Amino acid sequence: MSTQGFKFVYDPELARFELAPDHPFKPLRFEITRSLLAAVGLLSDADLVSPIPLEDDDILMVHDWRFVEAVKSVTVASKARQDTGLAAYGLGTSDNPLFDDMHDKIARVCAATVTAVDLVASGRALRTANLAGGLHHALRDRASGFCIYNDLAIAIRKAVDHYGLRVAYIDIDAHHGDGVQWLFYDDPAVLTISMHESGRYLFPGTGHTYETGKDAGRGTAVNVPLEPFTEDASFLACFDMVVPRAIEHFAPDLIVLQAGADTHRYDPLADLWLSLEGMGESYRRVVDLADTYAGGRLVVTGGGGYDPYQTVPRAWARLWAEVVGKELPAELPTFWVEDWQRRLGVSMPTVSTEDPAGLTPAPRRAAITSRNRSVAERLLTTLEKIWQRE
Amino acid sequence: MLVSDVMTRKVVAIGPDTPIRDVQTLMEQRNIRHFPILQSRSNTEPDALIGIVSDRDVRLVGADHPRSPAGVTAAHPISQLMVFPVLTAHPDDPIEETAKVLRENKIGAMPVMDDGRLVGIVTGIDMLDALIRMSGVYEAASRLEVEVANRPGALADLLRHVAARNVNVSSVMTTRGDPDTVTFVLRVATVDGHGLARHLRSQGFSVPWPPEPGSDDLPRTGGRGDEVPPATDGTTRKA
Repeated sequence: MSTQGFKFVYDPELARFELAPDHPFKPLRFEITRSLLAAVGLLSDADLVSPIPLEDDDILMVHDWRFVEAVKSVTVASKARQDTGLAAYGLGTSDNPLFDDMHDKIARVCAATVTAVDLVASGRALRTANLAGGLHHALRDRASGFCIYNDLAIAIRKAVDHYGLRVAYIDIDAHHGDGVQWLFYDDPAVLTISMHESGRYLFPGTGHTYETGKDAGRGTAVNVPLEPFTEDASFLACFDMVVPRAIEHFAPDLIVLQAGADTHRYDPLADLWLSLEGMGESYRRVVDLADTYAGGRLVVTGGGGYDPYQTVPRAWARLWAEVVGKELPAELPTFWVEDWQRRLGVSMPTVSTEDPAGLTPAPRRAAITSRNRSVAERLLTTLEKIWQRE
Repeated sequence: MLVSDVMTRKVVAIGPDTPIRDVQTLMEQRNIRHFPILQSRSNTEPDALIGIVSDRDVRLVGADHPRSPAGVTAAHPISQLMVFPVLTAHPDDPIEETAKVLRENKIGAMPVMDDGRLVGIVTGIDMLDALIRMSGVYEAASRLEVEVANRPGALADLLRHVAARNVNVSSVMTTRGDPDTVTFVLRVATVDGHGLARHLRSQGFSVPWPPEPGSDDLPRTGGRGDEVPPATDGTTRKA
């Protein structure tokens, strides 16, 4: 298959900022991944598309204008005086610190995701990626959890309102996709599915099985909270129990995947224990679901991922490889490894995946597997009851 | 939070002569569980609250049940069934006091009276809603439980450490175990709740939740801040 129908949204500015020095969310991950894909020959200039800048009205489809004005007001001056009026909007905390040109930089991330969705919704591409996107915690009037604007919600809103599509959103970040869920909680045209580490242990504390949507959107929110230390087999078993059934029932025109890479066992901010192989398997399943139920139409984004040099580039390179139906080479190009080692002063991975035999088994594996299975079973029972009444 | 913040303002009240049958119908149609009963007085005075009736009282009429009222049928007026005198609340009552009165008297609702006039009704469900709102559970947060000594300044000491990390607090709830300690349930608006818990432990705080690495609740063999498992793919990992 030619990669003609596959587009990678790219602008070097998407990677050229930091929320704060030492902040765990590193936009540079995007550039590291893009350069890896180019180095292994899976990304050519012909695959790249520049984001089309957004109008304010696009952002206001999802966000409160007072919040947007507050974000726009963030300047060097407000940063210096630690403007306390911004705290009400979740801005100026250690999670969401003030940084220069905050609005322009995050609006560009949103533009990239909207461009990715536009290309697929209008039929100009079959599958697209914005690996700089995936800011799933941002709320209508509040920044939250490293996310200022919700690029996913803006793009999905446009797919629904402008193109009249039914959109299934699948979120496999380690954290609950709360922002997207709440923004479409009563919307029957958008199905949100989130698999994540249980809110009992991890931010944002929501994503319980009983959160199933409300009013006209009842039955269109699906949450699979997983135990800490969940490994590949249990994660994929729960995916297979819940996600295909929900997608089949909903019958989407388009699937949007938030592929946060913080589910990996070496991620420092969450406790799920996936391997690169398990993450890759989940990406492949989503591509297959898009082919089976959504005419192939798929948009993928990044998200979390706080092991930015070892894990994230390999996970997201695998994600793009699945999108274009190719495989990563086992050995990563030496010039790519050496270039980043020199620039960052950290060790870079030299191979594309991990030897499963070398991964320590999780403690209490049987108990974790059993508990996850029973959560998925109870969730399915709940959902089938709601769906029967439709 | 006061009663006026949580009460229902549109109250369906009935007169003492209303037949029980009509109250049953009203109950089913409007999904209401408690009816204050008002007696009109002169034109210048507000109606007097003379009783209250619950869905349970009404359902027992004519039922084959040992507690069904003897000799009362659905054709009788509601005054035959109503309970009086009525315990009432004031709009300015703190909700925790209202909750206590409801609980101690084992009742489900109280009419809210202001200057002799019925202005609302407050129920046990309203108390639960208030608890949910006060807990901040709808806000994106990490949840921590921290046990401190029961002494002045203990909460201030704890929050100083939270503030130093520039983390906003969504809510604080207090629970008490033995007299010497207080456990605060904090909901904090940060992704890295584990990092905050680890920091507090390093400062000598007892943090029962989230479970500590290596505990029976949440065993770990490595992870954040601990020894990172060695890479097995030919790379060297930074801890």
